[in-house]
Amino acid sequence: MGIIPDFLLDYISVNTYWTILFTVHALMAVALLGALSHQAMSVWMPVRAGAGPAGFVTRFRAVHGASYAAAVCVLWIVTFFFGAWIYTKYRMYVRIPIEQAGYWKTQGFFELKEHYATIGLGLLPIYWYFWKNARVPEYDSARKWLTVVLAVMCWFIFIVGHVVNNVRGFGS
Amino acid sequence: MSTTTQVAPGARSAALASSATFRTFAIVFAIATPVIYTVCDMMNWPLFTYHPGTNRVDLGWARAVPNEGPAMYWYGWTASTLLASAALGFLATLLPQNLTRRIPLALTWLLPIVVLPILVYSLKFFWRW
Repeated sequence: MGIIPDFLLDYISVNTYWTILFTVHALMAVALLGALSHQAMSVWMPVRAGAGPAGFVTRFRAVHGASYAAAVCVLWIVTFFFGAWIYTKYRMYVRIPIEQAGYWKTQGFFELKEHYATIGLGLLPIYWYFWKNARVPEYDSARKWLTVVLAVMCWFIFIVGHVVNNVRGFGS
Repeated sequence: MSTTTQVAPGARSAALASSATFRTFAIVFAIATPVIYTVCDMMNWPLFTYHPGTNRVDLGWARAVPNEGPAMYWYGWTASTLLASAALGFLATLLPQNLTRRIPLALTWLLPIVVLPILVYSLKFFWRW
């Protein structure tokens, strides 16, 4: 079931294999969420000069957004890749029990999560382009709202993944 | 001694970031992706169907085989979307720039929001209260 390189199973169990893939997927997602949240806050509520003493929120949004763009693209692609890989396992051993238990809305939100993971992938080239041209005023509005939309999508995808893992993930 | 010109990755990235052709491709790719994905989802047009129980891949849409587990269409929808969006993006680069410059940039972030109710509706099977 699913795609498992045979030689790996000489060294680790099937469970360990999927656990490693899932953990990498989750860690990449956390890094992506952090990067996009900082960046979205920096364009949504930019720190003005002379804004007073810098507290936690001010420091959180006082990042140089452009320096996050390439990392966000790479993290989205890598997280997507690992998510797509473990999806085979999910379809067989997680979704079927979720449906048998009648958690229809949980599964519905998971389907929406996968839709937006793909749509986000399609937004990455222009997102990268806008940020590479961060000094072009023509792109300011589109860059700001595209970053915010990507951040909201990322939060939604992350929370749904977390809830689904709680419903039937590790230890189930 | 090699005579091949080496281009640093940074220079390549800078060239791409200043390319009008890449700009057109990326804008059309971003606009097309949510639309084409939604159409693929609603019409059920995956490029291929994956059967995780048997590792079999069928071209286009295929029904789940009894006693062989479920069929997965998301990989096929994703492939259809990325290929079709890339093709549209490429075709757009052949258009004159005075035309492609008129494409509203706001569509890149508005369309993912616009398709949300349609995608939610497509999942109506799951919204059982």
